[in-house]
Amino acid sequence: MDKDMSIAKTLNLEGLLCPIPVVKLSNAVKGIGVGEVIEATATDPGVMMDIPAWCKSTGNDLISLDKEDGIFRFVVCRVN
Amino acid sequence: MSITRTALEEVEKRFNRLIGTSATNLCTHCGWCVESCHVYLSTLNPELSPVAKTERVRRVLKRSHDWLSKLVPFWTGAADLTESELDKWVELAYKYCTLCERCVINCPMAVETPQIMGAIRGTLTSIKKSPEILDQLTGAEIAREDGLDMMREIFREHIVDLEKEVQEKLNNPSAKIPIEEEAEILYVPLSGVHTIIPPAVIFNYVGASWTLSMFESSNYAMFLGDIPRAKQIVNRILKEAERLNVKEIVLSECGHAYAAFRWEAPKWFGEPLKFKVSSILEVMDDYLETGVLTFDSSQNGEAITYHDPCNIGRKGGIFEEPRRIINVISSNYREMYPSREQNFCCGGGGGLVANTDWQDYRIETGKVKADQIRETRAKKVLTSCDNCLHQIQEISEYYDLNVEVSNVSQWAISALTIT
Repeated sequence: MDKDMSIAKTLNLEGLLCPIPVVKLSNAVKGIGVGEVIEATATDPGVMMDIPAWCKSTGNDLISLDKEDGIFRFVVCRVN
Repeated sequence: MSITRTALEEVEKRFNRLIGTSATNLCTHCGWCVESCHVYLSTLNPELSPVAKTERVRRVLKRSHDWLSKLVPFWTGAADLTESELDKWVELAYKYCTLCERCVINCPMAVETPQIMGAIRGTLTSIKKSPEILDQLTGAEIAREDGLDMMREIFREHIVDLEKEVQEKLNNPSAKIPIEEEAEILYVPLSGVHTIIPPAVIFNYVGASWTLSMFESSNYAMFLGDIPRAKQIVNRILKEAERLNVKEIVLSECGHAYAAFRWEAPKWFGEPLKFKVSSILEVMDDYLETGVLTFDSSQNGEAITYHDPCNIGRKGGIFEEPRRIINVISSNYREMYPSREQNFCCGGGGGLVANTDWQDYRIETGKVKADQIRETRAKKVLTSCDNCLHQIQEISEYYDLNVEVSNVSQWAISALTIT
């Protein structure tokens, strides 16, 4: 992720199971502007598959998806 | 062409003998369905009863299918479709009906309200009026196949960690989660880890020949009445099953996935599937019967109840399998009333649980289920569907039920006899 890229919104999806992380991300993305970025954390490993697939199907940009100490952290940029 | 004209044409495409007779001829307005519906019982709004909901569709269909309504619509209450009525249909079909079918089994004329609502869902999808989130979730399921090469790497990475948990649980370092290997069983989970680890533990425990699907069993296109995409989602798994030469497809504890594979897909494809299709519940029950799956019941005196998911139970007929599993492990099982085919919907079915715009309403209509659970005085609620799982967790919090909620397999593995 570009160090200059500022996070417009953060989202805590920890403890939530599929499909709720995708549902909440979808809602949150509607609340930011095009080109803005959202950072979210989750604990369900299902997000490793679901979030890239959701980004691919909606055309939004998955900037990064990492795992550290059991927490999945992903950054999505709203494209449309 | 106007949107109402297009909508009417789409309705006509879906107007078959079942929907047609149910919609135009069968209903006698007897009202038996009213108190069978959890939406009515929770809201006490007669406009939300099955008969009132379908009447709004019925009057439009009668306008073109009933000779008297064609001639004197004011006499029969028939009406033309308007744009504002289409907006009402969105709520009728997606918000106020979870397609649970409880009204059908309590209707003396067997009026197929969910079939009518399903046809309306499909119509609304074709004119892009269906809830956006269901469309997005459907798109994500299809994208998983389109980006399979990229997903494969992520998936394998994901599974390595889960495999360690399975090995620890079984105290067996050689326990595996095989992916894309030829086997007798193709197990199809949901995305959540709670639908991967318990079956993996069970398959390793009994020494089954199995492999894990790259895909998830859910099918949001079915909620949209979007048959072409619903077929595409099922077809990913059928192709995988064929490639891996499996004999049986075993589905995770997911109500609508069971419906999609067991009875909808053969209708969509126009022929029976080439594979035996089972729920993990049926497979666990078979393992119990043959004695390869054994549980330690000495620590399970906690009061426990089971919620029959509509697709698994009322529509799918799986009633005894979960109860046999639970009763082997638990010495304090409490039946909900009513249950089995007369069980009430949790309030989150039909894709409603994914729609946060209607969350408050969904929790409101979960009151019937909350009351049922409270009456059992159980401390734990088991079910076999992720929609139900989410909804019951939320209503437990809202209505202060103070219960733990879990899928059957997730709960059962904690009682496995490990030597």
